[in-house]
Amino acid sequence: MNKRKTDYKFLLPAVFVVAIMTQVPFLLTIIFSTLRWNLSRPDLARQFNGLQNYLYFLKIEDWRHLPEFYGILWQTVFITGSTLLLCSALGFALALLLDNDVIGINIARTLMLGPFFVMSTASGVIWKTTIFNTTFGWYGVLSKLFGFQPVDLVSYHPLGVIIVLFVWQWMPFFILVLLAGLQGIPQDLIDSMQIDGVNWIQGVVRIKLPLIMNHMRIAIMLGLVFLIKEFGLILVTTAGGPGTRSYTLPYAVYMQVFSANNVGRAGALAVITVALTLLLVNLLYRSIVKRSEMYS
Amino acid sequence: MENRTIEQVVRRARIRHFTKKLLLSLLIYGIAIFYFFPILYMFLSGFKTEQQAVLPKIFFTPTLETFKKVLSDPTMYQYLRNSLFQVIIGTTVSLVLGVPASFVLVFGTLKKPESNNKYFLWFITTILLPPVAVLIPLFTWYQKFNLINTPYGLLMAYVGFHTPIVVWMVHSFFSDLPAEIFDAAEIDGCTRLQQLTRIALPIVRTGIISAALLVAVFIWNEFFLGFNLTGNPTATLPVYMSRFREQQGMFVAQLSASSTIAVLPAIVLGWMTQKALVKGLTLGAVKG
Repeated sequence: MNKRKTDYKFLLPAVFVVAIMTQVPFLLTIIFSTLRWNLSRPDLARQFNGLQNYLYFLKIEDWRHLPEFYGILWQTVFITGSTLLLCSALGFALALLLDNDVIGINIARTLMLGPFFVMSTASGVIWKTTIFNTTFGWYGVLSKLFGFQPVDLVSYHPLGVIIVLFVWQWMPFFILVLLAGLQGIPQDLIDSMQIDGVNWIQGVVRIKLPLIMNHMRIAIMLGLVFLIKEFGLILVTTAGGPGTRSYTLPYAVYMQVFSANNVGRAGALAVITVALTLLLVNLLYRSIVKRSEMYS
Repeated sequence: MENRTIEQVVRRARIRHFTKKLLLSLLIYGIAIFYFFPILYMFLSGFKTEQQAVLPKIFFTPTLETFKKVLSDPTMYQYLRNSLFQVIIGTTVSLVLGVPASFVLVFGTLKKPESNNKYFLWFITTILLPPVAVLIPLFTWYQKFNLINTPYGLLMAYVGFHTPIVVWMVHSFFSDLPAEIFDAAEIDGCTRLQQLTRIALPIVRTGIISAALLVAVFIWNEFFLGFNLTGNPTATLPVYMSRFREQQGMFVAQLSASSTIAVLPAIVLGWMTQKALVKGLTLGAVKG
């Protein structure tokens, strides 16, 4: 009994702090999302208005003109989905390449890991000024050198720019996890593959890929958790623009609070963001558990 | 053909093997350098003067002038100090809260046998919570109690968000230890605290250090809360970096020198954690 008491003394401070800083504010956000509450209109009393804030975003009156929310939802899913897809495919290819035993391979692996630790605001401004800039950046200078007219990628292809930067930042993580998977494949399996005369493509697609599928799923799940809340990179590169063309859900919440001053609607959007995150993570998690059970 | 000796065949095979390896190495190095290039170019441009940095160039005579200018700027110095405060205190407090909690979640006896797992899952779900979900109440509280202009408001938020990450990462390292050693220590009259500090911590020391370094990197790089929950005197380096967003390709040298200062510590710390990163972040589901 006494032992149990000390065990709770170890556990409860952490639970308490985390609850105060994350769960309580989230519950309050849910309450806010049911209020009519606009910071720039102090003359209007805060009052309960049910699901009005949700309906403001979700209600479809005319199917030919979907409300802005659905565009933002699609952009969020599109950016996250494309990034994860590219990270998985390219990350797998590069992990295979880095699985080779050449001199100085660790230096190459370390260099490739670098972008993962760069703060997103710094990588955003660096890419924007030294690479994407049409007059002074590498892209601008090199395309003029080869006789192309450089276009302002940040305004013409905002989603593309964001996806490229996300992939640049997150692929190292995929490589790291997938490489750990590839190196965990027992050597005698690889040897017997060679003796049986399995060619390279068969070896990769039929044997190596299925063996590290769980690594892939875990990388995708963690990538999803972190990518869906990314905000800084979008702010510094496209600032959501042009218009709302590169808004994502977190960015839209931020704009609702600090630009529209509408606490109620921002709360509703935040709750939708959390619901979407939990839904997607849950789907992925289930597929991981199912696979693990199959193997064990 | 028939006159080829065995030596010749072997030598040929060796040469072919060697060329293949060489080409493969060149391909790998080429890709790695290309991938790292934006960071590399940033490091280089920090050693240029503004005039040298206008157009992309790789070869130039380096100078420390820009770094001196950036570091003598009192605002930069202030951002750096704020970031260091958040990283050092935030990481320490998260560890002090998270490590004991994680320890009893692995080895402790709670009310019900399944409680350990329930609490652990609860910590995991808080990691899934995007910071936008807590922004509005925190922002209104902080305005009301004027926490915006003290570093403690942001610090509390960082501790709240990073303690679960500590619990999560350290959990997989504790799980590797056999429960018997703690039962034996119990019989010998070791208290829980002694079991943690005298037995468990020395064994999983490297794992905990990696978790600490990774949390330090996360806090150092965190932008959303740092941007929205601070005022001018308390903002951190990522906020400082975001202010370069409006300049259309100007002041490249200054930008590069500042971002080198902002980026280099995180990259170095990150590289030191790379072994434990895989294991810690994948719940130990994947061997590192």
